[in-house]
Amino acid sequence: MTRGRMPKLVIGVVLLAAAVLLPFPVNRAQPYYLQLTLNIFVFATLALSWDILARTGQLSLAHAAFYGLGAYTSVLVTTRAGVPVFAGILLGSLVAVVAAAGLGVLTLRLRGIYFAIATLAFSESLRVLTKQLRFTGGPAGLIAPPLLAGNLPAQYLVILGILLLAVLVSWQVNRSRWHFAFTAIRTNEEVAAVMGVDVVRFKVMAFAISAFFAGLTGAYYAHVFLFISPFEAFSLAVSVGALVAPIFGGLYSAVGPLLGAVVLRAGEEVLRAALGDGFLIIYGLILAGVILYMPRGLVGLWTAFAARRRQPAARTGRGVP
Amino acid sequence: MTLLALEGITKAFGGLVAVSDLSCEVRAGEIFALIGPNGAGKSTTFNLISGLMPPDRGRIMFDGVDITVMKPHQRAHLGIGRTFQLMQPFHDMTVLENVMVGELYGHQVPKSLEAARRDAEAVCERAGVAHLMSREVTGLGVADLKRLEVARALATHPRLLLLDEVMAGLTPTEARQAVAMIKRIREHEVTVLLIDHVMSSVRDLAERVAVLNFGRKIAEGSFGEVAHNREVIEAYLGEEEVNGDRP
Repeated sequence: MTRGRMPKLVIGVVLLAAAVLLPFPVNRAQPYYLQLTLNIFVFATLALSWDILARTGQLSLAHAAFYGLGAYTSVLVTTRAGVPVFAGILLGSLVAVVAAAGLGVLTLRLRGIYFAIATLAFSESLRVLTKQLRFTGGPAGLIAPPLLAGNLPAQYLVILGILLLAVLVSWQVNRSRWHFAFTAIRTNEEVAAVMGVDVVRFKVMAFAISAFFAGLTGAYYAHVFLFISPFEAFSLAVSVGALVAPIFGGLYSAVGPLLGAVVLRAGEEVLRAALGDGFLIIYGLILAGVILYMPRGLVGLWTAFAARRRQPAARTGRGVP
Repeated sequence: MTLLALEGITKAFGGLVAVSDLSCEVRAGEIFALIGPNGAGKSTTFNLISGLMPPDRGRIMFDGVDITVMKPHQRAHLGIGRTFQLMQPFHDMTVLENVMVGELYGHQVPKSLEAARRDAEAVCERAGVAHLMSREVTGLGVADLKRLEVARALATHPRLLLLDEVMAGLTPTEARQAVAMIKRIREHEVTVLLIDHVMSSVRDLAERVAVLNFGRKIAEGSFGEVAHNREVIEAYLGEEEVNGDRP
């Protein structure tokens, strides 16, 4: 057990140290990489948040709604009511939690594709609403006050902290008794219920946790990007982005969404640099290939590889008389 | 003492009345069988008792408590456990983890993961799936899946256990093992209400039997009594067959 854990621990510590040190020595002159990493972390947090909800079998297309609600709430309270930016971001994520709990109760009986459509409708109606309403700035959007006076390295450390919190929560949920309730609900809700699992409570709770992180990242990013509009905050691209990374990386774990987000966003950047405008075609093909041929994502690929490496040893072991 | 009382429960799906004005009492400590032809309303009755659907009319009492409108998980906490006719294991989980769900959530007082694991191991032992504990459920045979169904239900430590066709699809030897297991379960002060089509098992197990046909109860009594009931014979064999026997 220790032999298996040590390298993982070392890798984790090295990665974390690299992530914390990234903004300081060499890269101060390279805001591009810092900005890119920051974007990857935003994407990864969204992916982790989507995955937590998916563990209860709820495949959401509403993550743009929580993201946008966080962003709009925070920008509105900071500009109109003079609330400090950090408090605004926290308030934004709380509003997302409340909305998610409401949506969760309404969509309790829906499954699979019907659930996805209902959550998409929720997200789209919020987009139309922010476009039509005056106090949200309409289609022109709103200017957001900067987080930490626009200091990029400091902003970077904030999203690193948010990401670490999301990883910790995602990991901890999987190690706790909740894991059993979530998995049971995902595989068979009725059986879970007659075995004593309070299905409503766990589904709504997963919704709330998930929305908290989506709202948090939305609000955070608004104050880094300094502008929000209905088209970006509530765009389908956010919802799809949130679900692509976990599917690509491997569902129902902390590692999968994280790995998926990093590989996808970094890969996208490399392709964009190499191919220019046409990169989306190749990107799309790779995604389609992964979903078709690697149903368990990168994590699944690794597990299969590790199993195959162990097997020959086992076979020779059995051959010994 | 009456543990479960169905008081005039009715359930219709559109125009089809699946259960019609059914009244029935299950006494604490007994093994009670619900039999009847396909479509007689047996599984619907189980769904009504375990709370997966509400009755249109009538009342369900468990140990003196009106549970008619209670949620399934609340009924599980009160002590109602069940298996499903079509085995529905939790995929993505091992056999032990399947059973742990019941240990973790089937009681009013929450259990720690460690306690749940330990107790789930004991339940697996009792239900005869101890040798499969670390297996993923995918690929298990019918008999083992049936045992897993029972193990999961036992893990909620029910006072009333509803067994939905646990004998169906088993070989005679496996069915005999299942009968022995159910007898052992009852010795742990668990009341058993079972649905089954395997009449030899029902005869060996049940102290009392109720016969349903088209959602109505047409007979109740010992196995011997209902087996000679004319209406029961008609329900199973069809009226013409019975009439044809006349000289």
